[in-house]
Amino acid sequence: MQAPGAALHVYSNRASSASDSGKPTEADPVTTQIIRHALSSAARQMKRATIRTAFSPIIYEALDFAVVLYDRRIRMLAQAPTLPIFVGTMGFCIEGAVQAVGGERQLEPGDVLIYNVPYGTGSHAQDCAIVMPVFLPDGELVGYAANKAHWLDIGAKAPYCTDTTDVYQEGVVIPGVKLYRAGKLNEDIHRMALANCRFKQPVNGDLNAQVASCHVGARELQRVIRRFGPATFAECIERMFDHGEHAVRQFIASIPDGTYHGTCHMDDNGVDDDPIRFEVIITIDGSNVRIDFSSAPDAQRGPINAPFPSTVSASRVALMMAAGSAREPPNEGHFRPLEIVTRPGSMFHPLAPQPCYLYGWPLMSAIEGIFQALATASGGKLPSGGAADTAAVQFYGQRSRTGEPFYGGGLSLPVGQGARPSCDGPTLYVPSLAQSHLQSPELMEAKLPIQCEQWEFTPDSGGPGQFRGGSGWQVAYRFLEDVMLISTIERTQVPGWAQCGGLAGAANRLEVEFADGHTETLRKVTNRKIPAGSRLRIYLGGGGGYGAPSTRAAAAVRRDLLNGMITMQHARKYYPHAV
Amino acid sequence: MATRIGVDIGGTFTDLVVYDDQTGQVSVEKVPSTPAAPEVGCVEAVRRAAMRPGLLQQCEYFLHGTTVGLNALLERRGATVGLLCTAGFRDALELRRGARPESCDLNWVPPDPLVPRHLRIPIGERIDVEGAVVRALERQHVAAAVKVFRDQGVSSVAVCFMNAYANPAHELQAAEALRQYGFAGDISLSHRLSREYRDYERTSTTVVDAFVRRRMADYLDRVAEGIRQLGFNGECLVTRSGGGSMSFDEARERSFETINSGPVAGAEGAAELARALGLGDLVTVDVGGTSFDTALIVDGRPQLHYQGEIDGMPIQAPWVDVRSIGAGGGSLAYLDSGGLLHVGPQSAGAQPGPACYARGGSEPTVTDAALLLGMLGSGRLASNIQLDRDRALEALNKLARELHSDAQRVAVGIIKLACSNCANAIREITVEQGIDPRGLRILAFGGAGPLLATQIARELDIRDVIVPPFAGNFSAWGLLGSDLVRSSARTQLLGLADGCVQRLEVTVREMFAELESRSADQRFAQQGERELALGMRFSGQEYSLTLPVPWRNNRLGLSAAELREAFLGAYQSTFGITLDNAVEVIVLRTVIRRSLARRIRRPDDTSPPRSDTLQALYSFAQGCELPAHALARSALEEGRRQSGPAVIYENTATTYVDADFSYGVDPNGCLLLRREG
Repeated sequence: MQAPGAALHVYSNRASSASDSGKPTEADPVTTQIIRHALSSAARQMKRATIRTAFSPIIYEALDFAVVLYDRRIRMLAQAPTLPIFVGTMGFCIEGAVQAVGGERQLEPGDVLIYNVPYGTGSHAQDCAIVMPVFLPDGELVGYAANKAHWLDIGAKAPYCTDTTDVYQEGVVIPGVKLYRAGKLNEDIHRMALANCRFKQPVNGDLNAQVASCHVGARELQRVIRRFGPATFAECIERMFDHGEHAVRQFIASIPDGTYHGTCHMDDNGVDDDPIRFEVIITIDGSNVRIDFSSAPDAQRGPINAPFPSTVSASRVALMMAAGSAREPPNEGHFRPLEIVTRPGSMFHPLAPQPCYLYGWPLMSAIEGIFQALATASGGKLPSGGAADTAAVQFYGQRSRTGEPFYGGGLSLPVGQGARPSCDGPTLYVPSLAQSHLQSPELMEAKLPIQCEQWEFTPDSGGPGQFRGGSGWQVAYRFLEDVMLISTIERTQVPGWAQCGGLAGAANRLEVEFADGHTETLRKVTNRKIPAGSRLRIYLGGGGGYGAPSTRAAAAVRRDLLNGMITMQHARKYYPHAV
Repeated sequence: MATRIGVDIGGTFTDLVVYDDQTGQVSVEKVPSTPAAPEVGCVEAVRRAAMRPGLLQQCEYFLHGTTVGLNALLERRGATVGLLCTAGFRDALELRRGARPESCDLNWVPPDPLVPRHLRIPIGERIDVEGAVVRALERQHVAAAVKVFRDQGVSSVAVCFMNAYANPAHELQAAEALRQYGFAGDISLSHRLSREYRDYERTSTTVVDAFVRRRMADYLDRVAEGIRQLGFNGECLVTRSGGGSMSFDEARERSFETINSGPVAGAEGAAELARALGLGDLVTVDVGGTSFDTALIVDGRPQLHYQGEIDGMPIQAPWVDVRSIGAGGGSLAYLDSGGLLHVGPQSAGAQPGPACYARGGSEPTVTDAALLLGMLGSGRLASNIQLDRDRALEALNKLARELHSDAQRVAVGIIKLACSNCANAIREITVEQGIDPRGLRILAFGGAGPLLATQIARELDIRDVIVPPFAGNFSAWGLLGSDLVRSSARTQLLGLADGCVQRLEVTVREMFAELESRSADQRFAQQGERELALGMRFSGQEYSLTLPVPWRNNRLGLSAAELREAFLGAYQSTFGITLDNAVEVIVLRTVIRRSLARRIRRPDDTSPPRSDTLQALYSFAQGCELPAHALARSALEEGRRQSGPAVIYENTATTYVDADFSYGVDPNGCLLLRREG
């Protein structure tokens, strides 16, 4: 572990420009658009191929995967809307996998690389990257198709972990090897990988889907290059990158120059009980932006460390969403104005073998911190903060009557989002999981030994303000069998931030009412035994408010009262002008 | 002697097609649409057709495709709806599934739910997953709800309780209690609409039905009354989102099945044509004023889904898969701030329309580009509209100056970009089905489909483009072949073990009996063909594959072992792998289909002759202008093939044939464009 003051790591991909002259390319604007659309369509086809052939609901329902096309210089050509937090890591996945097999010279047509080293993929080991180099018929390497997906299991100490203290407890590490060599499956590696999974068949099905989607992407990239010729293609993608860069630079340039802070909080690191606080510092300089994570604490003993590529990805997700008016699927150009500073050995740049199983959670909080800094910078043009968690609870066990195993996993949940600058906040998934889908209680009852009892907004949970924060809500279900419980709940102590006089909403909370009548509030736990008949209550937090509550329209307060979104007591306290 | 009439209401025109079963003769009418009161345009079209003496009296069927339900949802114009839901689950409707469809827009908020929270009333009751009563229905909660509904002016109530798919008793009791306590408005019960699980989707479906049903019923009543006054005495049918048609009486009770009625007629017509003429597997290219619609027709059937979605609201109902992108004749071309060209999705619509319509539009559209390049020939359209080439040139020149280019190059760019967007959409729907588009033929229709089809075909490496007769009115023509269809679905989790076939049969018989009882029309019970399909999956999965299975003499034609074999075969061909896991049935789907008499005769074109002229035409294949023939479709000699480029006129559409295509009319009456070399 490095001491504070050690050399900082500064990353940007400004060097991805074709030339240093800064001159716009002369590529034809129509052909450029046709190529850009064709590449986006190719990525969407990869997404559809994955969904069509995947085995696990976490892939085809929760969309816990990303698909991308890159050029030979490892610049992102296109992506399809999937798991945002994966998308920004894909260049690192390709770079790491290619390097691991000995560099680009070792690649041949038909190769498929598999890679899950967390510090290289910007994930935990359970997220496995598949990388396929793409060649033209003459043997020229022209780019890569890649797919990173969450595997149901990769042999970590539990099906999901909150208390690992090094990476070796977090699953099997596949260091970047050829799963296929020149089109031929390497059976040894395939068997070895699956041998370490608790759920072999679904993982195998999902792995096949990843490979199939890369074939679709590779075929389409080859087609587009052949259709327009390599020279025109090369010229047009430069213009495409420049175009993306321009859109983001317009957004950044609209923010006054200066340095802005976002403050982030987490409950604990999963192993120790102490709360964690860190800052992200954003510097706007013309149309450039620097996001600095270097002041964050040293890497934690528990698994809430975010590998460097994931820190980059979180910064990209936050910037793309904030610049949302660009409304275009991002490519490498969109990332060019961004510089990221980290400190190796810190929470946002852990080094092997520091644990990182829960890497997604510090990022959820960091993204809110970036929004907070940008909101301050732009004078309140961004929403307030959300509850920054998914309150994902997993449980497993065996049916007492049949001995059949069951696994309720990945049930992540939306939370209250911050109030918008011109309307109340909604209840949605956190930005890093934008496209996830809530499971249906009826469906869960049909496949798991639970009975759902509640699926409702929690009154008074949205932060008060001129515009109210998105409402929190509550889920309650009763276990009909004994279960082992895993909870990754975060942000139970400090709710999402508010701005311009608005107030914070409710924080997240997890409670178990045991069958014997006593109630316990839980935080992160791995493999806690809960007896049948106990009731689980998940309180999803609310978003922060926007603007002073005293300026909220009386009609909006009365509507909230009528709808039961707030109680009369709450209204008297925060909105006395309206009642 | 029998005839049938089809009326399809579009954004700009209301199209009517009359088909005479005896003679095979077809005639068409086109009148302006009347969006504020669509029935006016509809009845007017029928009135014009009725000028032929005796026509309406001989007419057996009136078939209608409508967007009334769709527009009611999109414009949020419907009933004030109240919802009764299980206590504890008041907010399933508003929580939705939590996703952000616009993942790049931080400020995105979901649309308001159709029922605000204060009208979503929790009712004490609970049924478990097996259908057993956990908590009896608290009738006094319903009484309190009725009072709220009365005070708030609720005219339509949706009822959706947890696990009602497994046992509808509480929904039925609630309906009875609503009446007992004096609620006199419409009631939609979730289990009557869908007995599939997923509470949010079923709640959304029920609420959608409650929201549109009065509006739809009133509309259908006005249409029926209007045409009966003109002397029509036959059966009135409306197309379903999931294909086929239903009587107006049934549509009043099941409005949610008609929401996507409008767009499916073209896909249905394409499927019928593919079956009747043996055209093979098709992809449709239906281009109108504002959108490009495409559907895959495999083995003579469009792709059928079991859930649709409008404006983010899921609807659990059969749904013909027609995809739409904003690329039509009226789509606007413009530059973004980064200097790249865009075409659509914004459209010039009918007002002001493309610049060349000379109705005040000044921005260039796809139609302006096509006119400038000669693709529309002289620019005289069916309804005697003469397009103004100077206006088109002026609009294109404006864009050309910004691009430091010339009008022709800009026009070429607009057409290329629009066509490549259409081609991308087709690639995406084919990859979803695991189909290679090169093995398909394009069926091009709609006003601008035949205009763009050769360019789209080249993009996709597709050889054949088929332009059916009445290409411009093809969707209305498609209406005429709709069978009468009733369908239902039920979630029932059942492992493939001994005794499962008997249990399935019990449920299926119950489902068919329910379908037969939906109206007093005995012909369904007597003549209808019964179809059964089972949704099956490996135990533990959520996705299921839907397999048609034989149902004869009230029995399932397969054993449990044969069902497993059938499933494994389908799984292997869909996913390329198979597993040794247990297999289970998750959903049962029944259909009763009562066929209208088949149209046996081929449709014949009736375009008026026009003189063959020579003109300059831009060729995308050659990248330059070439001399080309402009001729009437009716002047083409059957079986004789000629080389492009050419422009072919017909009544309601113009076909553009690029230089690398040959063209001719096949013995089946279709215009076939074939890429040579």
